[in-house]
Amino acid sequence: MYRIEIDRTLCSGFGVCAELAPDVIELGKDGLASVRTGSTEDPVVLRAAAACPMAAITVIEERAA
Amino acid sequence: MTPDSILVVGAGLAGARCADTLRAESYEGHLTLVGDELLPPYERPALSKEFLAGRKAEHELVLRPPAFWTEQQIDLRLGQRVVRIDPRRRTATTEAGVELGWNALVLATGARPRRLPFPTPRGVHLLRTVVDARALRDGLVPGAHLVVVGGGFVGAEVASTALALGVRVTMLEALATPFERTLGPTLGRLLADRYRSHGVDLRVRTGALRFGSGPDGAVRSVLLTDRSEVRCDVALVGIGVEPANELVPSPVEGVSIFACGDVTGGPGHWTNAAAEATAVARRILGLPQQPPQPAFFWSDQFGLRLQLVGSASATAAIELEGGREDFIARYHDGEGRLMAALGANRPAEVARLRRELAVAA
Repeated sequence: MYRIEIDRTLCSGFGVCAELAPDVIELGKDGLASVRTGSTEDPVVLRAAAACPMAAITVIEERAA
Repeated sequence: MTPDSILVVGAGLAGARCADTLRAESYEGHLTLVGDELLPPYERPALSKEFLAGRKAEHELVLRPPAFWTEQQIDLRLGQRVVRIDPRRRTATTEAGVELGWNALVLATGARPRRLPFPTPRGVHLLRTVVDARALRDGLVPGAHLVVVGGGFVGAEVASTALALGVRVTMLEALATPFERTLGPTLGRLLADRYRSHGVDLRVRTGALRFGSGPDGAVRSVLLTDRSEVRCDVALVGIGVEPANELVPSPVEGVSIFACGDVTGGPGHWTNAAAEATAVARRILGLPQQPPQPAFFWSDQFGLRLQLVGSASATAAIELEGGREDFIARYHDGEGRLMAALGANRPAEVARLRRELAVAA
């Protein structure tokens, strides 16, 4: 399970995250990214976070106990 | 083969991002991130904006909460400057004489601001680190007079922040307009008009010859290339950066050394530090590379959020759409292909422009 955090003060609307992980991240009317769903099983969020030029996305892997 | 231990030298955005990605991609070996600054990895862009304006505190600048580094088992060593790399023995030595071993080395030592070729008295600042920003901020008191040497992005953002703090600003630009070489003269004139309408005393085709100081050793004035003198209480030198690449050793057969971020750039070259850092991390782990993204840069100044996608060129054909408060400039090459786009207060269109550029590439 991956938990996603987006620092919107860092986000500058590049938008590649929403393209890579559209089920998890969306671009708002202001052009900035926001979290559609706070956690996911899909490791594509790692790629979305890595592609952000602002390092605005943190993905925390939560391992089941 | 995946290395047993990785040392990342330089704890700015690129170094932090590289370490972060290594762990996110399940690297389980020993991972050390060493940097010469005291603050954990932080966002530099805010130094000329929110931090300088006093709207963000130091602890709000950090890229990751302090616990993150421990949780990720990244051995974060702050306030330690690496002074020597020995690629044969695979060691890095810090100023304090500590030797750090590694199997793979990542150099992310960044860049440092260029200096003027003459002495600068107290009150004349460079801006790269949070320590620089704190010192500059102390000088930006209402009624003070700031001289900004260099009309680049750092200079323009500092000028914009300073004006809002009630500081009088004189800006010196060596060329006919600010950003003439990077964004072209059309955008340069547009931005020059904007700076002046906001109250900046912009002097173009003008540089600084020397500073004058008072009996207390603090800056009092600057002598310009047109022989006029401007009084000032504080100054910022923003004439570009040069890569801090003196640690880069000559290659040794079979030794893995990587570099990412500003250290790889030439003067005035904008690198996408985050993308490079990710690419290096993936290369170390033998993972496939992600498709390249167009370059991206952004700047907040004088009420404009400027966002540049792609690589603009001063010689490109420019198509400007919109008004003074929001516009898009498209840069086309000789064959009419889109090379870059600059948006001003049009954040909602950046993603589309980026896609257009990815197709054009």
